[in-house]
Amino acid sequence: MRKYMTLMIAAALVPVLLAGTPAQAKKLNVVTTLTDLASIARSVGGEDVTVISLCPGTRDPHFMPAKPSLARKLGKADMLVYDGMELEIGWLPQLIEKARNPRVKPGARGDVDCSQAISNLLEVPAATVDRSEGDIHPLGNPHYTLDPRNAEAVADLLAERMSDLDPVHAQAFADRAAAFKAEIEKHLPGWVEMTAKARAHHVLIYHKHWTYLVDWLGLDKIGEIEHRPGITPSPRHVHEMMDKAKRLGDVVIIAATWDHLDAAKEVGKRSGAPLVVLPGHTGGTDGTDDYISFIDTICRSLGAATTQLQSLR
Amino acid sequence: MRHFIVTVVGACAAVLVATGPVGTAFAQASSTATGVSRLMNPAVSANALFLAQSSSDDDSYGENNIALQEAEMQFSAVVDPFWKANLIVAFHPPHHEEAAAKAEEHHAGFEVHLEEASLTSRSMPAGLGLRIGKFFLPFGKHAPLHTHQFPFVRAPLPLLAFLGDHGLTDVGAELSATVPAPWYSVAKVYGIDGGVAILDGEDRDLAYGGRLINLWDVSDNATLELGLSALTGPAGPGMRQLVYGADLTYKWSSGSLSHGPAVNWINEVVLPDPDGKVGNPVGAYSLVQYRFARNWWLGLGGGKVADTAPVEGFESVNLDADGLVDYSEFKANVTFTPSEFSDLRAEVSYAETDQDGYEDLRFSIQWNFTIGAHPAHLY
Repeated sequence: MRKYMTLMIAAALVPVLLAGTPAQAKKLNVVTTLTDLASIARSVGGEDVTVISLCPGTRDPHFMPAKPSLARKLGKADMLVYDGMELEIGWLPQLIEKARNPRVKPGARGDVDCSQAISNLLEVPAATVDRSEGDIHPLGNPHYTLDPRNAEAVADLLAERMSDLDPVHAQAFADRAAAFKAEIEKHLPGWVEMTAKARAHHVLIYHKHWTYLVDWLGLDKIGEIEHRPGITPSPRHVHEMMDKAKRLGDVVIIAATWDHLDAAKEVGKRSGAPLVVLPGHTGGTDGTDDYISFIDTICRSLGAATTQLQSLR
Repeated sequence: MRHFIVTVVGACAAVLVATGPVGTAFAQASSTATGVSRLMNPAVSANALFLAQSSSDDDSYGENNIALQEAEMQFSAVVDPFWKANLIVAFHPPHHEEAAAKAEEHHAGFEVHLEEASLTSRSMPAGLGLRIGKFFLPFGKHAPLHTHQFPFVRAPLPLLAFLGDHGLTDVGAELSATVPAPWYSVAKVYGIDGGVAILDGEDRDLAYGGRLINLWDVSDNATLELGLSALTGPAGPGMRQLVYGADLTYKWSSGSLSHGPAVNWINEVVLPDPDGKVGNPVGAYSLVQYRFARNWWLGLGGGKVADTAPVEGFESVNLDADGLVDYSEFKANVTFTPSEFSDLRAEVSYAETDQDGYEDLRFSIQWNFTIGAHPAHLY
């Protein structure tokens, strides 16, 4: 009897002892909300971290279902990396509450709001806003990862915060962040070159998801089809956009894979503007497995669409 | 004297300069001097639910009118490092004749119902969760829903029959823990005052219950949830009420289209087992909602109940049977949701019993809006 009792106590102690293993001895468990952030975290963390994203790149991150199974993943995280600016407000607070993980609660060391690293936030309301303008983000446009220069700022922040949690690998995190930034800098001229023809045209975007891309590449945006975020565009507005595109000519329409494309297709059909459907985030389409290839795909697709438009003229 | 005047004027000038625009701005931003600050205000939201209905069986005013079904105000905030608080106040027409008379007496027309006033722990060890105060009891899938979250105008028949007509909310404490399983699993146990309609709140015997939730990802875009619930408490002198429940919910939504096709399918069985029961009372329902276009949902539902007591909405049934009476309902609706913050619903429902030839065909129009910082709904 005593032998069995001893065995049972020993078995019960094993998980306790494992739980007590120093944090430095295991990899940092990083959970991100977006696949863009997951890719940057992998670049910075390398072999010293494990990274998963809660929202797949194919889904609109505004409307990710708050599946309790995601809370289970978050419950094991050492670090929660999120976009912020209320992009994930419809689902992340619920998951944080359900996860009951003090390491990633707001204000904890593992709580990383990447928007804190961004210095050039766009469309920050200058005055009071209300929902007559649609489901707008009162803190500004949160889709800053569509500008690769912002990805560099995020990489720096992640290196700093990973180092805080795992100081043993601080130098490795800093080196990898520098390498990621160098990789971005290496690609920047090529991406700008690829989209040179697009700058000679106008662009009509479906949703404000593309605001940072437009700003970075210096594109001439003539409007949004979904002019009030989250609200189906009215037929009147669609006609206005159609007329505008027709009048100006040389217009390219940009939408994400998850958008309802009926209105965009209608505008394209009536105005002759080509519709380019782009991945909204890393992993949104084939060949966009990491952040670099994601931005690369966007720039190539835009370049191809404008070349096609020119050949039609 | 002249020196004194010059000194006073100089001092006043210094004070005016010091409390100029900068001083004013500081006073507005700071609560130190004023004792008043808006910076720590809770998130506040409100919603209102209106209902227009016409019944073929019941010709009373209450069942053939346009009315405010419910208005609700919600306040949520983190209290301190240890607790988060939630307070929900609902206003609705009286549910019972006695309450209606009382409301009439006070020229009110509405009852005020404190649905929730609870504290939820933020820092319990070992993944435990603690909730204290007044809250929706975790029984089944539908009972914890607020009225504006209902997928149909009314709660399913078995819930109206066995769990009361206005949700299960009571004062007590709930402890929850994550079950170490390979899937998402949470167990909840609670002890309550016994003030819910199906229990005898004046009896000091214990009232308590529990719920086990299991959820599996059956694909990247679909989940299956199995819940088991139980609630027991005093039900009159020397008697106890005991209710069991089981629910199975399937959810799927398109992973590639924002506001694309989606399915919510809820099935639930409620089994009351009170002392001195007659026969085997039981209730079951199935509700399915399908999003067929960006802003449109289609709903279909049905339920059956075998009970000895009159059920909410069936008051005109003449209960002359010695045993159980079978109640049935079938309903269909279409809901238009132009945004996340408002919706408009049209519903037709048919109900019948096996007694007295009772039949009721009802048409309803319901509309709902939400303003303010409303927390996201439960999955």
